[in-house]
Parts: sequence; C-alpha cells; structure tokens
Amino acid sequence: MARLADPRFAPDCAIVVDGRRVPARSGESVTSALLAAGRPLLSRSAKYHRPRGPFCLSSSCASCLVRADGVPNVKACETACRDGLEIESQNAVGGASRDLLGAIDLFAPAGIDHHHVGTWSQLASRVAVGTSRLLAGLGRLPDRVPEAWPAAAEDRFDAMVIGAGPAGLAAAEALARAGLRVYLADRERAPGGRLRCRLGLAGDPPLAWASEVAEAVRRAGGEVALRAAAIGLWRDGEEPLAAVSERRDRPRMRLLRAPRAVLAGGTWAQPPVFPGNDIPGIHGARGLLVALAEDGVVPGERAAVLGAGPEAEAVAARLAGAGMAVELVEGEVERARGGRRLAALDLADGRRVRCDTLAVATPRMPAAELAREAGAALELDPATGAFRVRPGEAGAVAPGVFAAGELTGPCSAAEAAEAGRRAGEAASSG
Amino acid sequence: MSSKALLCQCEDVTVEDVRRAVELGYRDLESVKRYTGLGTGPCQGKTCLAIATRELLRLGATPGEVAPFTVRPPLHPTPIGALASIDPSGLSIEGGVPPPPPPGTAPRAPGPLPARARVVILGGGIMGLGLAYNLCRRGDTDVVLLERGYLNSGASGRNGGGVRAQWTTPTMIRLARRSLEIGESFAAEMGINVWFRRGGYLFLAPTREQVDRIEQNARLQVENGLKTRVISPAEAAEVVPELDRSRFLAASWNPDDAVVFPWPYVWGYATRAEALGTKVLTFTRVTGFETAGRRIAAVVTDRGRIACDVVVNACGAWSRDVAALAGVKLPNVPVRHEILVTEPLKPWLGPLVSVLGSGLYFSQSLRGEIVGGMGDPDEPEGLDTRSTLRFLARFSRAISDVVPMTAGLRVMRQWAGCYDVTPDNNPILGAAGPDNFLQLSGFVGHGFMMAPAVTELMAGWMAGDPPDEIFERFTLERFARGEVSREDFIIG
Repeated sequence: MARLADPRFAPDCAIVVDGRRVPARSGESVTSALLAAGRPLLSRSAKYHRPRGPFCLSSSCASCLVRADGVPNVKACETACRDGLEIESQNAVGGASRDLLGAIDLFAPAGIDHHHVGTWSQLASRVAVGTSRLLAGLGRLPDRVPEAWPAAAEDRFDAMVIGAGPAGLAAAEALARAGLRVYLADRERAPGGRLRCRLGLAGDPPLAWASEVAEAVRRAGGEVALRAAAIGLWRDGEEPLAAVSERRDRPRMRLLRAPRAVLAGGTWAQPPVFPGNDIPGIHGARGLLVALAEDGVVPGERAAVLGAGPEAEAVAARLAGAGMAVELVEGEVERARGGRRLAALDLADGRRVRCDTLAVATPRMPAAELAREAGAALELDPATGAFRVRPGEAGAVAPGVFAAGELTGPCSAAEAAEAGRRAGEAASSG
Repeated sequence: MSSKALLCQCEDVTVEDVRRAVELGYRDLESVKRYTGLGTGPCQGKTCLAIATRELLRLGATPGEVAPFTVRPPLHPTPIGALASIDPSGLSIEGGVPPPPPPGTAPRAPGPLPARARVVILGGGIMGLGLAYNLCRRGDTDVVLLERGYLNSGASGRNGGGVRAQWTTPTMIRLARRSLEIGESFAAEMGINVWFRRGGYLFLAPTREQVDRIEQNARLQVENGLKTRVISPAEAAEVVPELDRSRFLAASWNPDDAVVFPWPYVWGYATRAEALGTKVLTFTRVTGFETAGRRIAAVVTDRGRIACDVVVNACGAWSRDVAALAGVKLPNVPVRHEILVTEPLKPWLGPLVSVLGSGLYFSQSLRGEIVGGMGDPDEPEGLDTRSTLRFLARFSRAISDVVPMTAGLRVMRQWAGCYDVTPDNNPILGAAGPDNFLQLSGFVGHGFMMAPAVTELMAGWMAGDPPDEIFERFTLERFARGEVSREDFIIG
C-alpha cells in the first residue's frame, strides 16, 4: 500500500523519472509521487555521491534537487506533477540508483580533505583542479533559454504578513478585521502551516480556520498569495519592502511595500545528526504528514519516529493510522543503516529498530532570516543550537516590523496564533 | 556506506570535518563555515546553521564564537530571470540588509598579547598575510599581525577571485604576471589548494570607443609578453557559445588569465607565516598608536599594546581610518561593491567574462557556481557591506542580456565588500607620516590579484633590496606633487 485507499488519492497521470513512468496525481508535488511509489532516492550528493532523497518535503532543505523538464536544480517538493513531466536525477553517472561515482564514498570512508589533496606537487595539484572541476556542480546547464518573466509587479498594501501558519493567519485576521488591506504570502500550496499536518493537538485551531481567514483577507480588499516565497525584506526609506517570488500559474516577481509587516515564517526542518543521517527515507515529520494528509502518501511499511513529546506522539499515531508499523524512538540513535533506502536504526542502548522510513519530529530551527534582515535581536538555545528571534513588545523587531510564532521559539499552534493576533493588533494600531 | 555523519548535506560536510577545522584553529562559526563549506550550498544554511552551532558548542566554542553567520538574501534560490524582471531604477541604493551586528558581539580573542615585535602588520587580508609570509621567508620572523575580525572577513574573502594580466601599463602587467606565476605554484608551495585555473579573461567591448581601447591595450600587452588578441564576436562565441553575439562588437581575449578561490590563499599565507614565526592575532582591534618623536613606538589595541620598530598599514578599505589614528590623512575612500553566487552547475563557462562599460563580470568557480559582480556608478562612499535588491536586479539584467541562458540559473546568495579607492586608482606604498609607518593600501578592488607579487616586493624593499619602481611611483606624496596618472581598467 503506497497511498491511502481513498478515491481522492487515486493517481490520474504519470510523470517520467529517469525514463520510467511513475503514477502521480496532477498538482501534487513530485516528492509525493515518488514517496508513494516507494522511491525516496532522487539524486547523488555533491561531493561523495551519496544517495540523496528528499528530507524536509517543504522547500527549505535542498536534498531533493532534480532536473525538471530540462531545468536543473529544481526542488522536487515544489514541482507540481502533470502528465509527462520529465524528471531526471542529478550528479549521477548511470542513474541515481547505480551511480558509478558512488565509489568515491566507499573509497573515502573518512572523507576527502579537499584543501590538501594533490598539494604534494604542482602536477598533482593541477590534476586535482582539473578533476574537481569535472566532478563539481549539480546538474547541467538548462536545455534552453527560459521564457522571459513578466515585468515584476509593484504593489502597495496596508500590511504584509509572511507565512500563513497559525501566527500569520491570526495576524492577518486581526489586520483585516481592522479594515486593512493585507498581503498574506505563504510558500506552500495551501495556507495553514503546521495545521496542515492534522496533528490534532490540544488547543490547535481547526484547519478550516485557515480558509476562513483567507476569505476575510480577500473581503477586506487584501490578497492571499500561495506558492509565494518572500526572498528578502529590504527597506525603501522608512518602509519595509519585500520581494516575493510567486509560482502560481505563471511565475512572476512581486515587489511589495507596506507600512507594516508581520513575519511568521515558522521553522525549518532539521535533520538528526548520526552516521547515515542522510540515507533516503529520512524525512521531516511535518512534511511527511502533509503528504499523507493531502496526497494520501504512505511512504513505506515500517516507520520510526524520532522525538519526544506530544507532537512526536501525534506523528506516530498518524502514521500508525495510515497502516504503518510505527516505533517511537526517544533515546539516542547511534547510526542509521541502509544504502539507497533506510533499513534500520541502531540505538545507543544496543537495540536495532527495523524501519524504511524515519519521521524526524525533533526541534526545528526558527526561520529567523527575514527578521534578521530587518535587524531583529537573536537568542541562542544552547540545547538545540538554534537562534530564535527575540522580539520586543507585541512582537516588534524593527520599526513597522513584527515577528510572531515559532520563529520566536518553540510554542504550540494556539500560542502562535495568540502571538500573531497580538502582533496583528499592535501593527494595525501603529 | 553510512559511516559519515553529515552536518551539511548540500556540501557533504561531516561532523568530523568540523572537528578537524576547530582543531586547526578555525573556531568561530564564520570561519568554520568558510573552511568546511557548510552553509554555502543550495539550502543556504537553513538545514545546518543550528546543528553546526550545537556541534561547535559541544567542542567548546564560546557564545561569541557561535554568532550565526550573516544572513544573505535571497532567502530561497531565485532565478536570474526572475530578478531581472525587477526594475532597479526605483530601488534605493541605501536600503541594504542586514544591518551591522551590534558592537560587542564579536568573539573575544584568547591569550595575552606579545609585548613587542619588530614588525606589526595591521590587517589580516591577503596583503598583510602575504607580507608577513614574505618577511618571514626572508628571515625577518619577529612579526605580529593584527586582524579586527576573522581571516577572510574583509575584501580578501569577498572578491570574485579573478587574476588577470590584461592591464594597461607595463608596471601592472608585470605585477599581475608575477601574481599569476605565484598562483600557479601556490598549492604545491604553500600546501593548500587555491583552485587556480587558467580559463582566460574575455573582455567584451559593446561600443566603437571600447574596441579602440582594447585594441590599443592589446598592442601594449603583446609588447609586454601576453597572448592577448582582439577577437570577433564569432570567435568569442567559440570560447563561450552561450554569449549573445549581438551584444558586443569585439572582445579582448587572453587565455592565460586565471580564476582562483580566494579563501585558501588567505589561509595558506597565514598558516605558513605562522609556521615561520609570525603571530597572527584575530579579533584584535587597533585603537591608537603611541608615538615618540617622528616614530610610532607602540600599537595600541583593545587587548593591550605592542611595542614595535615598524608598522605596516594593510587594512584595505579600513586603511584611511587606521591611518587617521596615527594622524596621517590618506586620500583613500571605501566604496561598497556587491557580488553574488548562483547554484552550482557542471562546468560550462571557461573564462571570466567582463563587459566593458557596465562593469559586469562573472566566472564559474571550481565548485560550479557562477560568481559575479557589478559596480554601481551611484554608489556613495562608505564602509557599507549590506546587500541590496537593486544590485540583484541590475546584475541579473546585465548578465542575462549578454548570456541569455543564465536567466535560468538561480541566485543562492549575495554579499558585499569594500573597494579601497584612491584618486588615481593606484595603490599607496611606503612611508607616510611617522617614519616607521608604512602603507600597503589603495588597491581599488584588485588588491587580491596583485598581493602575491606586491607583498614579495614589499618584503624585499623593507629588507633593503634596491627599490622597485612601484615604491617610487606609488607614494603618498605623488598626490601633493601632482604626479598622477590614472589607471582606468579596474573591472573584475
């Protein structure tokens, strides 16, 4: 079973991956189609040609880069399936699964110190340069000159909200309620952020609330932009200026100016750290649950869930509900086993957990980047190594700029929504 | 094999790589990032910043040492074609990000300061470190070098890595040729790869006047032993098939020019200079000088004072401010220069390509990325290293105009450094002000490529070798005497 048995999730087309047809649903991500097909291996890694598969499933990591319709280094998790879409693996000689250069990893178990290889003579260093140039780089030049993008549209709103998870939704709701025209952007295809995982934790707002807010924003004259990634937050005079890359029907850039901005970008998935931590089959738990809930993807037969606490437990319950054999791993993992696909985890206590899928539900890293561009102060959590945004009153981080939700540190969806509401109210009165 | 624990999956950096870097003395996160390459791949650090920080803390780093590496737009890799769709004319040159970090957040350097040294070199860029190495090599090993940040924090770590001999005076051609020679043998001599690659330099001339200029330059360059040829657009397209031939009338082509990876040059000079006796002290800021008569008696820093016989100012864009601490007024001004890097691709671009007039230049790094920059005529002076949206738009328009295929490449990261600009675009060398206060500054964006040759000559000059003409021509007094001939070929 690779998909939940629900007619909604029945494939209606096929993409072509390295020449082989893979059933897919139109509009779902390429990673969903591949995971449902039991093929988490996509490409080979940059230096050692290790097997690479998608990790975060939510467009923050770069483990799922493929060539899509002749365009290199496209994130498979952001690429929508349609019949006949051509996907090619990258950085592999003879396909991702048999890559001849995979030998590099085997022959250099301790790694290669590229700073010093070949420095014993001028000839050797010249050979090192020549060889490295040939081996380096992911993907080949595009097949053709891309179609020109339409001129970037410049728009002005009363407020912009980056991120449509619980915090961003609540902020946008408060701003729209105050009668302001809001631009609400999220890089995913649907609003809701972590609510899309359907974790059902105590106090979680219902996912339907996301659509209600989107509707309220539109009614107040605002706009909800999905598949819209803010690439930077600059300033034009005193005013925040965001550049947003929108990938709707036709890609385009938007330049947005607004006197107030609420940053609610949430967090980035973080891989665990142990030998074999990059074997295909290891995924961010939230991305995995969204694929399960929205595309019916059941990624394998046996799942381990790494993490502790209510979220990790809810992840385990969701995967078990999808028919997978699930084990929650709270202790230390010594190493992962497997080649092109995860086979087992060896735990520090000597136990071995057989699994083809690992859902990583450990702490994520606050997406502090845009707030840092605005000048936000940071605070280090030494336990995770993560830097969180340390906002002032009502989430203020800079004149006209507020931050709310998980980018200010771990919090429940309900707490994030509350912080977002306060930031939205403070912004609308300012 | 699953024996590797990866800390950065974009660049295949292992936990072991980070441990080794720390052992070699790269302790702060910015340095570890550069030495290992973590955080420089297509995820742009989103998947490794926290775990690298955690690992460094585990290895004993101080909170100052794990200040997160500077945030670099764009937040998501963005196609050049998308950025080129933005009209830069309405975008402010002032609105760069991020704001500089608050003072007092830099790591604290450990250990006591040496009480005295024969030579104190200010500035841990390639100029200062190259000089330290060359002094030591000649036996003058009582050297202390002071750097306010980490190695590679200034322009030496922020430039595009171009090294060309296509200059417009015999002096510059001679220096550049020597630098190329040193670059060629650097890896074997210094024991670290700098990824020196002679892919050539291709200057495109879009106007008749520029064609005249490159023809005149080519004649001089050939007289001085270079292989420079002025070639037609069709011939240029044999070198770079992706060029839009309608965008230029002719090109100046020297196949012997090169591109290197700048960071290991700096580490190589630093490591060898230290092995020979130099003390390289990072995170140490000069705050003043003690003088005795016409001489500097000691350099004062935020960590104490160092008595000395000779002081060399090699602070790049900070040279003017440092000289001012000694009461010396230099005519140098710092001017920001922005640059960016794209996702890595398999090799497709051989030379460094530059377009005369616009100031655009770009090349493909050994890792496969396109690295390119472009000056902005409206850039005000100032020590500003913030990144603007205006640059992203201007650069993207310029590069996709001349190589349309690049519209499909994604920009991963942008940053900025400061040129150290003099009134005639030539350096300032030798004594200025106090008798023992030597200048090694004013290289206007090409200090990196000139440093190997110039520091070799400077060490010789300081040791009493017969002076090279550069120490007679490029003095501070030339400005007072009005003996100024302007260098105007300062791109890339």
